Amino acid sequence: MIDDAPHANSRESQWAVETHGLTKRFGENVAVNDVELLVPRGCAFGYLGPNGAGKTTLIRTLLGLTHADAGTMSLLGYSVPRHRDLALARVGAIVDEPRFHGHLTGRQNLQILAAARERVAKDRVESSLERVGMAQRADDRVSKYSMGMRQRLGVAACLLGDPQLLILDEPMNGLDPAGMHEMRDMIKSLVAEGRTVMLSSHLLDEVERTCDAVAIVDKGTVIRQGPISELLAGATMEVQVECSSPEQARSILTDTKLGAEIDVATSGLSIHLAPGTGRDVIAEMNRLLVEGGIDVYRLQEIQVSLESWFLEVTSRLGESE
Amino acid sequence: MTSTSESVVPINLVDDASDGVSHDHRGSWIPTFGMIRTRFMELRKRRGLMAALIVVNIGIPAIFLLIRLIMHAVAPKSYGPAGGYDIFTSLVAGVMFVFGFIVAATLGCTAGSVDLSEGMFRHLVITGRSRIALYFARIPAGLAIIVPLVAVGFTIVCAVCVFAAPTKISYQGINVPPGLSLTSFQSWAAQHPKEVVCGLPYRGPIGVPCIDRNGKFSTAPGNPGFKQISPATLKADAVKIAKQDYVAYSRIFLSPSNLLMVKAGLWIELEAIIGFVVGLGLASLMGQRTVAVVLMIVLEIVLTPLFSHSVIPHLINVQRGVVGLAMDHLEPGGLPRGFGGGGGGVQSLVPESTTVAVCVIVAWLVGWTALGAWRMAKRDA
Repeated sequence: MIDDAPHANSRESQWAVETHGLTKRFGENVAVNDVELLVPRGCAFGYLGPNGAGKTTLIRTLLGLTHADAGTMSLLGYSVPRHRDLALARVGAIVDEPRFHGHLTGRQNLQILAAARERVAKDRVESSLERVGMAQRADDRVSKYSMGMRQRLGVAACLLGDPQLLILDEPMNGLDPAGMHEMRDMIKSLVAEGRTVMLSSHLLDEVERTCDAVAIVDKGTVIRQGPISELLAGATMEVQVECSSPEQARSILTDTKLGAEIDVATSGLSIHLAPGTGRDVIAEMNRLLVEGGIDVYRLQEIQVSLESWFLEVTSRLGESE
Repeated sequence: MTSTSESVVPINLVDDASDGVSHDHRGSWIPTFGMIRTRFMELRKRRGLMAALIVVNIGIPAIFLLIRLIMHAVAPKSYGPAGGYDIFTSLVAGVMFVFGFIVAATLGCTAGSVDLSEGMFRHLVITGRSRIALYFARIPAGLAIIVPLVAVGFTIVCAVCVFAAPTKISYQGINVPPGLSLTSFQSWAAQHPKEVVCGLPYRGPIGVPCIDRNGKFSTAPGNPGFKQISPATLKADAVKIAKQDYVAYSRIFLSPSNLLMVKAGLWIELEAIIGFVVGLGLASLMGQRTVAVVLMIVLEIVLTPLFSHSVIPHLINVQRGVVGLAMDHLEPGGLPRGFGGGGGGVQSLVPESTTVAVCVIVAWLVGWTALGAWRMAKRDA
């Protein structure tokens, strides 16, 4: 059973999306498993996971496109599904591939959607089309649109309700590099206006460029969430050292109490330090090597990317299983 | 381990307009005029469907009547007038009734399924608008298309059948004036007794057996000649024959009455409305169009005639529950018997009161609307 949280005023809630114990099953398959998700307002939030992790199912559940089997959820402070109409009034969303009536123009499709929203939404049709760069093609039939154009039209549809929260499911799908760049800029501009953008994606690089915070989902369960900077700070630090006598250098560092994992490469060492290790440790390693008679040609801290962190996290999970 | 961020500071920069939104009755079941208008636009822009609707509702009767008009104009002795009572009743009960139902059902099935099949349903649900209101918006939108189309087709039929009705006709080889009432027809027969007695059909005994030899009338061999038969007997037989033949005469000669046209118009409009509403509910229930259309056609041209032409003792109430039979019971008197119902003054094989027929029709309309709306409200989008 789904517990309906008390109706909270949207002005009072600090979270754009809030779920507790949210679960959705399809028969024996648990697509969304006891998800605790908190999406802060006014940021770009990435919902990351491999294909089949349950990203789209969570979004569909949040939007009332399918019912949840257990848990509570709220959008903009309104509990869903109890106050679904109030919550969705200020939510725009693209779920899966955006599809429209192919025999109608882009403008006509938006008019249909605007008619289902509040009265003033129809006045936003033109501005929405202009904002996504579709004004010139607004009178073409949607059947003639490319995938990228339909993505833009989907975003225009989201903007009809002047949303506080946009939920975009794989918004970069089908976009060429220029389109991805434009979409990225648009998301940033929406966030700059104070809106919250929650996007699901498996394109880690895009999420890292676009989002302030992320949640990692795997097999229906959220396994990490938080600001990207904080999450990456929790990752192991890698230092590459180019030096003479790599084997000798390794023995010098192994004898210390740095607690590093050291791999020997042909031209040097690859050193993995524990999460949270300070940069002074790098300086200390350099000093030890030089005092040990090792010529150090290059010593570089490798910046951990979201992608490498994601792989690290998921591989750890794999190991634990 | 899952860590929750506290360092991404939640902010409230966008003006919260939800207070204003809460008053737009988004959760109401009642659709807005804008929703109905845009839904109407969406259906109207389907060129193929609209072409099919126009061809069937307007094109077929119009072309049929046009051909008759042309043929009568070219060879009036070979081809009768385009209009008249018979043509009207045949077109209304035989063509417009059945095909009107099928095209209305096709429109309903389209309206009930395309949002889902074309991916718009999801967008519409995300607006927060009541799903029931989304469903209900389709009903007036669809009816705003099908009802005028049926009305236009029907008006054309009425116009031709009235204005191109026969003005004179050779009935059984006898030139009979048109538009006579029964009394006038009997008076005319009394004035032309030989032609009537010898030229018009009659079932039953008459006092003057007659032979028509290429327009030369004589009594049958063994009977007294006309000169020996009293004029009163001859007239009495002629009037008797005229009375029996009046129904057939009136069908040929009369144009449809205003009352019949009004009743017939309402009847086929009701049939189209039923077709649309049931098609809408069925397609919404099934989530797809093609099978729903096929089922509607099967209902109209297979099941309904099947149930009409035989009485199945243990299924008599099921038969009564078929909407086609109920509609047949409401068929205006004066139209030919449809599927075997009680219309046109013909006794139905499946007895059913008018009240029951009306209840069946209302039940179909309400029931399928409720089913379609329920499925739409519960369906995963």
